[in-house]
Amino acid sequence: MRTKLLFAAAAGAGAMMAAASAQSAELHFIRCGDNGLDEDRKVIAAFEAANPGNTVNMESLPWGTCQDKSLKLASAGSPPSVSYMGSRTLKQLADNNLVVDVKISEDQQKAYQPGVLNTVSYRDKFWGFPRAFSTKGLFLNCDIFEEAGLACEAPKTWDEMYAAAKTIKDKTGKAGVGLTGKDFDNTMHQFLNYLYSNGGQVIDPSTNEITLDSKNTLETLKFYGKLVEVAQEGPTAFERTQVRDLFNDNKVGMYIDGPWARGQHKEGITTKAAPIPAGPSGVSGTLLITDSLAVFKGSGHEELAMEFARMMTTGDSQYTLDKPDGWGLTPILKYEELGYEKPYYMDDPYWAVFVDSIPTGGPEPLFVDYKAMQTTINSMIQGIILKDDTAENLVAIAAEELEEFK
Amino acid sequence: MTHASGDLLPYQGERGGSAQKKQGMLQGLMRSQATFAWLLIAPAALYLVLVVAWPLVETVRLSFTNANIGGEAYIGTANYEKLLSSRKLGQTVSRTFYWMFLSVSFKIIFGLIGATLLNAAIPGRALFRMLVMPPWIVPVAIGCFGWLWLYNGHFGIISGALQYVGILDGPFEFLAYKQSAFYSAVVTDVWVGLPMVTIFMLAAMQGVPRDLYEAAYVDGASRWYRFRRITIPQILPVIITMSILSIIWTFNSFEIIWILTEGGPRSATTTLIIDTYKMAIANFKFGQGAARAVIVVTLLSVFSLVYLFALHQIKKRFEAA
Repeated sequence: MRTKLLFAAAAGAGAMMAAASAQSAELHFIRCGDNGLDEDRKVIAAFEAANPGNTVNMESLPWGTCQDKSLKLASAGSPPSVSYMGSRTLKQLADNNLVVDVKISEDQQKAYQPGVLNTVSYRDKFWGFPRAFSTKGLFLNCDIFEEAGLACEAPKTWDEMYAAAKTIKDKTGKAGVGLTGKDFDNTMHQFLNYLYSNGGQVIDPSTNEITLDSKNTLETLKFYGKLVEVAQEGPTAFERTQVRDLFNDNKVGMYIDGPWARGQHKEGITTKAAPIPAGPSGVSGTLLITDSLAVFKGSGHEELAMEFARMMTTGDSQYTLDKPDGWGLTPILKYEELGYEKPYYMDDPYWAVFVDSIPTGGPEPLFVDYKAMQTTINSMIQGIILKDDTAENLVAIAAEELEEFK
Repeated sequence: MTHASGDLLPYQGERGGSAQKKQGMLQGLMRSQATFAWLLIAPAALYLVLVVAWPLVETVRLSFTNANIGGEAYIGTANYEKLLSSRKLGQTVSRTFYWMFLSVSFKIIFGLIGATLLNAAIPGRALFRMLVMPPWIVPVAIGCFGWLWLYNGHFGIISGALQYVGILDGPFEFLAYKQSAFYSAVVTDVWVGLPMVTIFMLAAMQGVPRDLYEAAYVDGASRWYRFRRITIPQILPVIITMSILSIIWTFNSFEIIWILTEGGPRSATTTLIIDTYKMAIANFKFGQGAARAVIVVTLLSVFSLVYLFALHQIKKRFEAA
């Protein structure tokens, strides 16, 4: 009898252990950068407390490698459970059946800023939880403006911007504007800020038609080429952080950057942020960029991973990331409607530059082969900077090449 | 005799048997020696199969697929057809050969000049010989980051110095323009490869018998004549060997271009190996990247065959001498 009881107890314990092991999972979470690690750890602790037996293995990687590592793991058949990805990669991931579509509640959908969900939408589904959001503004170095005899007033149109940059160049010998031209993502991003401020677009998300070859793009590219005359020497060697370095060294009068730039400008220089000047065929706009938490297919615990990603991207966790002492981002959610009392961007003229431009912004174009798309657009931009071809030819060639990657 | 013969018969018989046995043993030994030899080279052979043959076969296989991050499917020769019909391939191949020609030529010419100077009986020769080594000793990546700073228009010493002496009237970004980026990459590649060429040529020059120079000197031959008619022919095998090895290494040179320009601007410094990396690793198009890799391996094989042929000719020449 005792033996039977012991056997039954052992069998019961074994069954419980097996059940526990079947339910428990270790989520592999890849994140980028080392900023905000403690906040993420708090969310992980809360998630583990709410899901006993399940753990999260967080891997924090440098910005330059985190996304590629996730893609390589996925292509090798051992994907992470959740990974921080640029939203521009989602179409490619979805088309290759590497990520699952995520469920975002109606209430949560309403809480996002306008345009944010467009950056993760494809085939009428959402392919990631938006995590980080940015819009861009034009930063002025008021010291250089004054040195050139100009009032530190933000140009509202491209003509005004060029005139101010030329005056700076002529009067001080310094670059009127900082341009990016390196084969890097933020070269394309900077160009898109101008394109969206001139009513253009790269692809129509509703029809999937390439719309790059337009009067708006042509005007934008010609303006970009014209800015080279008043920009720093050799824009094709520069990406945004390098231009910021020149700005901080008082060598550049204006440049485009995100809201976080305020905290990265050198103390002692007087700066001013303003909306991107409007082109002749548009109104002031901006590029709306998001990064997302993507839930990869094949981890074996996709629902749990989705729950974790949802926790990371809602409530205090998201607010802590967005606010200035976090990553200092354009608010991704309408926090004032979610009960946050006087969120950091309310009644602040600095933040108004980045928040007010959201409705007129355009998304980062979603392509199946986003890297090829980026290379094509960057090649077009470099072509006008290096005067390799006419703007008409460069736009036509780029538009033709993009057909292959949509 | 008979007895002896008789004695011998069984002996002979035994001897015949022994010979057969010995022959059998010998064959066995040979067999076992062959087995032993195979056992000895097995680890190396296995290593070669794992790290050379298998990846090579896998690369060829991948080149017939559309492998990407989402999976792969057999597509026949489509990757090759697409590659060969691309106008960019011709530009990339000719750029690669131009890059190789310039870089190797400079390495050989300056290597020869450097070796001659280092071989001359000048005071402080040992110091100069030591000073030629750093580019070879410093890790290539670190050296390239140094050059990246040198080429910077706003903070770099080259642009600063040229402005100081009045050649430039403002900063110049060497890596921002197609021509200057290409030639800057060539300069860095020569800087990296020159010490080895110089040291090998110096070693060859030191092996030239002194009496040849003395005899020529007595006959009134000038320095230039002695260099042309004695030094060059005597070190020709080393010049040929270094040229072919330099061709292979320069053709395959990746990190210098990648660190300096990543193949830009507008593909001005994209060689075949950079193009292959971009396609396969940066863009996750493993199939198309593999097709490029196969072309690279084919071209490298041709260079290697030329190298082996040259080595054979040199060996024959020395044996004849």
